[in-house]
Amino acid sequence: MTDMTLTNSGPGVFRRIWDLMGRRPELFTLALVILTVIGVAIANPDFLAVNNLFDILRASVVRGIFAMGVLAVLAAGGIDVSFTAIAAFVMYALTMLVTNVFPGMPIWVILPLAAAGGAAFGVVNGLLVHALRTPSLIVTIGTQYFIRSFLLTFIGTALFMNIPAAMDGFGKASLITWHGTNGVISTLPATVLVLVATAFATWFILERTLMGRAIFAAGGTPGIAERLGFNLFYVRLFVFGWAGLLAGVAGIVHVASNRLANPFDLAGMELEIIAAVVLGGAKITGGSGTVVGTLLGVVLITLVSNVLVFIGIPSTLQLAIIGAFILLAGTIFALRNRA
Amino acid sequence: MQPQPAQSQKTGTAPFLEIRNVRKSFGGVQALKDVSVTLQAGQIYHLMGENGCGKSTLIKIISGAQPATSGQIFIDGVQTEGEVAGDLGAIGALRAGIETVYQDLSLLPNLSVAENVALTGQLVEADGSLARRLKLGALYETAAKALEQVHLPTDRAFLTRRIDTLPLATRQLVAIARAIAAEARLVIMDEPTTSLTRQEVNYLLSVVRELLDKGVTVLFVTHKLDEVKSLGGHAIIMRDGQKVAERDVTTTNKAEIGHLMTGREISEARYRTEPKIGDTLLQVEGLSQARAFTNLSFTVRKGEILGVTGLLDSGRNELALALSGVVPAERGTIRLGGRSVALRSPAEAIREGVGYVPEDRLTEGLFLEKSIQDNVTLPVLNRLRNFFGMISQRKARKLSEDQITDLQVVAPDVTVPVQSLSGGNQQRVLIGRWLTIEPRLLVLHGPTVGVDVGSKDTIFRIIQRLADDGMAVVIISDDLPELLQNCDRILVMRQGGIVADYAAEEVDEDGIYQTMAAGPATEAPANMDEEAAQ
Repeated sequence: MTDMTLTNSGPGVFRRIWDLMGRRPELFTLALVILTVIGVAIANPDFLAVNNLFDILRASVVRGIFAMGVLAVLAAGGIDVSFTAIAAFVMYALTMLVTNVFPGMPIWVILPLAAAGGAAFGVVNGLLVHALRTPSLIVTIGTQYFIRSFLLTFIGTALFMNIPAAMDGFGKASLITWHGTNGVISTLPATVLVLVATAFATWFILERTLMGRAIFAAGGTPGIAERLGFNLFYVRLFVFGWAGLLAGVAGIVHVASNRLANPFDLAGMELEIIAAVVLGGAKITGGSGTVVGTLLGVVLITLVSNVLVFIGIPSTLQLAIIGAFILLAGTIFALRNRA
Repeated sequence: MQPQPAQSQKTGTAPFLEIRNVRKSFGGVQALKDVSVTLQAGQIYHLMGENGCGKSTLIKIISGAQPATSGQIFIDGVQTEGEVAGDLGAIGALRAGIETVYQDLSLLPNLSVAENVALTGQLVEADGSLARRLKLGALYETAAKALEQVHLPTDRAFLTRRIDTLPLATRQLVAIARAIAAEARLVIMDEPTTSLTRQEVNYLLSVVRELLDKGVTVLFVTHKLDEVKSLGGHAIIMRDGQKVAERDVTTTNKAEIGHLMTGREISEARYRTEPKIGDTLLQVEGLSQARAFTNLSFTVRKGEILGVTGLLDSGRNELALALSGVVPAERGTIRLGGRSVALRSPAEAIREGVGYVPEDRLTEGLFLEKSIQDNVTLPVLNRLRNFFGMISQRKARKLSEDQITDLQVVAPDVTVPVQSLSGGNQQRVLIGRWLTIEPRLLVLHGPTVGVDVGSKDTIFRIIQRLADDGMAVVIISDDLPELLQNCDRILVMRQGGIVADYAAEEVDEDGIYQTMAAGPATEAPANMDEEAAQ
């Protein structure tokens, strides 16, 4: 089969880069990130400053936490669009609960509570996907509407402008404070640690546990995985539970960073997160994806949405650029799979 | 992790596996009627029978993929206890040391070699629980040990390689290595030689011999008796959900087994008599498609039946797809009736009068939950328009009724869903669909895959009649007797080229097989993986 190709002139540099990208799609994402950074830095050399780096990291936290959950679901061959609704519900309901009933609750109780609440919703998604034998996209569109409607109808619509002290403190806590030469003070928020912990936990689960291997097995060829003794029910419960859990956490981080609990927030962010994960090299059809790639995808989306303003590209044009990147990456990844 | 070998020695006389009076029904259909089989440790068995005789159901029960409806299973003389009698369960079967290498190999294509070989071991150890750490060190160690026994590389680069980058023969060995890693006591192989070259088959058989020497029981599902004769052992022959005989393969000939399988003398008579061959219809010149086939040239005349065969990677399947416009060729010309045509899509092929009956009727051909009528009339809906531009139900019904009468489809009515029909009848519906476009050229890809002998006969007669009516027919198939019985000429493909053009009357099965398998001296299996780099 190999010796019949007519134009086989030995692997060139391009070919080798192509093959490498085939094996490690996240390298392509990295290339896009670097190109974007170089492009912006040429247009505006001020961009390469510590405060901008901090800003990008800060803006990546909530997206990144969401994306880790979505990665697990996508890797297992599913899709979840309800996680933003779960996050909105958990953050708003929990803020309300803490404000009205337990004003002194510390953040180390609030975060686990949010995680548990989110996980409970996620597990319901997993149960429904399994029991109804319905594509997870349909199931999670349904639960998304349900959760959102329930939140706005029965919990409330009023904004919490004064969030509880523990959350406020958590949002303000800083890891590094940087005094720039021009007098600008910028801080790296402690919430970044949540993303680091989330990313590490997700990496550990995906790469170092039987569950992780089962997730990829189920996402690649579910029929064979089942035949080999992998319990797909556990896999579904777990990935949707994990996506829900992280959504709950992301919700609280979102409130803490914005110092505002708005039940209308986060809606519509689903596609952007899924796009970030796919840009990071995960296949929408399941069975692949890495934590590093996903983080790069998140950084890329954040760069485009937060930094292009810096060089005078109007915010209305950002979506087009993200769209172009997605088309480009999608095409490249599709070609790689065909080869 | 698995029953101790010591125990089996203690019980001594008990066979490794005994199934007694197993029955299995799906809805009202009895797939297995009271089957009892005994497998002794360290012996090899060949499970033979026609499609639909129940052999795959039997394997699924033995491997725990499906529970039996009733009956008992004994391992080492001890009756297994499941929720239902005769239900091993997937993990239960693995625990008993029963490993199945299905025809699709059941490998996880997106995982690494090491994971495919050794992951299930860790899963069994964890009793199916997934909340366990992956023991990477143990994974590589177990995998390397097992791979060594099938003489595959054991370095880290090979261990971490994704399965979907490996050639088929290597994957087969990986699947066997998985069985070895699981310290299998029974390895079931479902038609393991189907798409291998002869050299690869010989290599596989030598690996199997080593397994037998180690006391492993092997159950081969096969229809190629010649290939496995050198292994010896018993043939277990099934027909209509029952075991009809057991024979020693070394002393039994093919005709006898064929007779036992079908319950009648199999006629090897040619269906092709007095062909009425007309002018050239299809003229293919220099047809190429990267990685699949190169520079194919051949012609088919009106009323002629051309067979095309070759191994799985010979390019025969791709040729079928190119002729039907599903995956167009990249270079070369196709002429139909002297006029050059570009078959860039199935729609164009249909416009040019090319009908294509795909290999996998279930996923590529039929809309299973739709009615016969919907399936048959699909390509000609335009013609069935009434005055208002709507589809005339009356015309559609008439057309599909004509087809099913013509093709002797056994169905109560044209409104029943296609999935309620038997394989042979489904295939006839599919052929009927393409006859509605009144094709000049009919391309049949594996026309009798999964079809019982009776239906096969009907389908062959239909093919002959179509050719007699002046249609040009191309049959692409790996079923050599089918080609020999039906075709005028047979093209043999190998590695993307046509290597022989036989008159069907002047060649036999073995001659064709030699031609299709005899490749250039292939590389030693140990470094077969290099081939995959492409």
